[in-house]
Amino acid sequence: MTAAPLASEFDTRTNATYEALMWALSRPGLIRTLPLAGLAQIIDTLIDRECAVYCEDAALTAQAMQTGAVLAPPEQADHLFLTALEHADFLTRLPQGSDLHPEAGATLVCTARLGRGPRLRLTGPGCEGAVEVRIDGLPDGIWQTRAQVLRYPLGFELFLVDANRVLGLPRSTKVEVL
Amino acid sequence: MSLKSLTRDWQPMSFGFLDASAKREIRRTSLKAIAVPGCQIPYASREVPMARGWGTGGLQVSCTLITPRTRIKVIDQGADDSVNAASIRRFLARVSGAPTTMDTLEADLIQSRHRIPEEVLQDHQVLVLQVPNPEPLRPVEPNMSLARQMHADADYGRMWLQLYEQIVRSGRVMQGASYPSLVNGRYVMTPSPIPRWDVPKLHMARHLTLLSAGREKRLFAVPPFTRVEPLVFEDVPYRVEDHAGLSCARSGARGFFMNEIPQADGSSSYEISDSELGVKSIRQRDNETVTIGDTWYKNGEMAG
Repeated sequence: MTAAPLASEFDTRTNATYEALMWALSRPGLIRTLPLAGLAQIIDTLIDRECAVYCEDAALTAQAMQTGAVLAPPEQADHLFLTALEHADFLTRLPQGSDLHPEAGATLVCTARLGRGPRLRLTGPGCEGAVEVRIDGLPDGIWQTRAQVLRYPLGFELFLVDANRVLGLPRSTKVEVL
Repeated sequence: MSLKSLTRDWQPMSFGFLDASAKREIRRTSLKAIAVPGCQIPYASREVPMARGWGTGGLQVSCTLITPRTRIKVIDQGADDSVNAASIRRFLARVSGAPTTMDTLEADLIQSRHRIPEEVLQDHQVLVLQVPNPEPLRPVEPNMSLARQMHADADYGRMWLQLYEQIVRSGRVMQGASYPSLVNGRYVMTPSPIPRWDVPKLHMARHLTLLSAGREKRLFAVPPFTRVEPLVFEDVPYRVEDHAGLSCARSGARGFFMNEIPQADGSSSYEISDSELGVKSIRQRDNETVTIGDTWYKNGEMAG
């Protein structure tokens, strides 16, 4: 029997990143650990030339282009990477998919501070009862805007990254500001 | 940028068999599937060295999730030792070097054809179900574009009508396996051809379930703590198979889903369908030390 192929550093890292993202989205509110800090590894894990990407950061833009992805304005991007989300209104510009294809909704990855700031209560699929989290570093009124914009099953997914920690908020999660 | 920077060193096979772009597509698809529970998300479904319809969908998801530390269990109709399960388990181990197990309690990743193990799955476990036909509306709407529109409109009237007609004609719902179920109150999905016995195990479960149809190129998911409600009328309750009173001819265990073994004299004997639970029960009967985990069914009744 031939030896099993060895996992390269890239395989190991992207698999671990995906596992963190998958569990972050499956159990909203439970913080998962990424192998490295920052957003670049998420581009390595998810993005290739089938994607339309919006980045504001120059280094991330260069990395996204290297994967062969198309750069697109927020209204047409399927993956968005922001080092800082400035205005809550930004959420109104994201694609939400269509009734026939809700999966065309965007995935927004942005940095935030986890474990500090306003208390939120999360309910919905993946939450055992209700989960309480604290998230800071996001613009005022973002949760109200998110609630107004989302029309489940249409919507977008949020990944909030704080150094090497990640929290996922699928469109199915209801966020209540306490 | 040079050509060298765009390529990787030659290797005889990618880790986990699938190439990086196939894995990225399945990652993106399964994230969306988790975000919209029960919604069928199309994906490319690459070639794997197995005929479509033999578990290629499940295999691709497993190949994407696998790491050299992921302990894998593969079952086929409850059995770890059938040809299909043994081949898939050996393939997954060969392409990744991952350890294998038959014990449900030890497994991180369980790929299954048509059964959910009897022992309760935990928070860190992923169940990958192979799906032959992902479209619950196919019997009532063969045109898949129209069926997609019906899902978009949450128009499940014909589904209910089909169940009603079965009750009127036969006195009960005749759907034996892949019982249509409403996920998170929005999408009707087929839970893959698991028996009715297994459907309640998906409701508010602790584990993540990914359902993948390789031939039909669609993937959907049931995240943990998600409502999965079989479609039933208020006055006709959901019934699982009458296996609560049967006992296994080999291990003596009672109250689990059984395989019926026809006998030469026309009668039947039964043995436990979850083969590893059967092995554990036999070893327990012989006074060996085994750990049988908490089971979903206790004395033939679904707990909780």
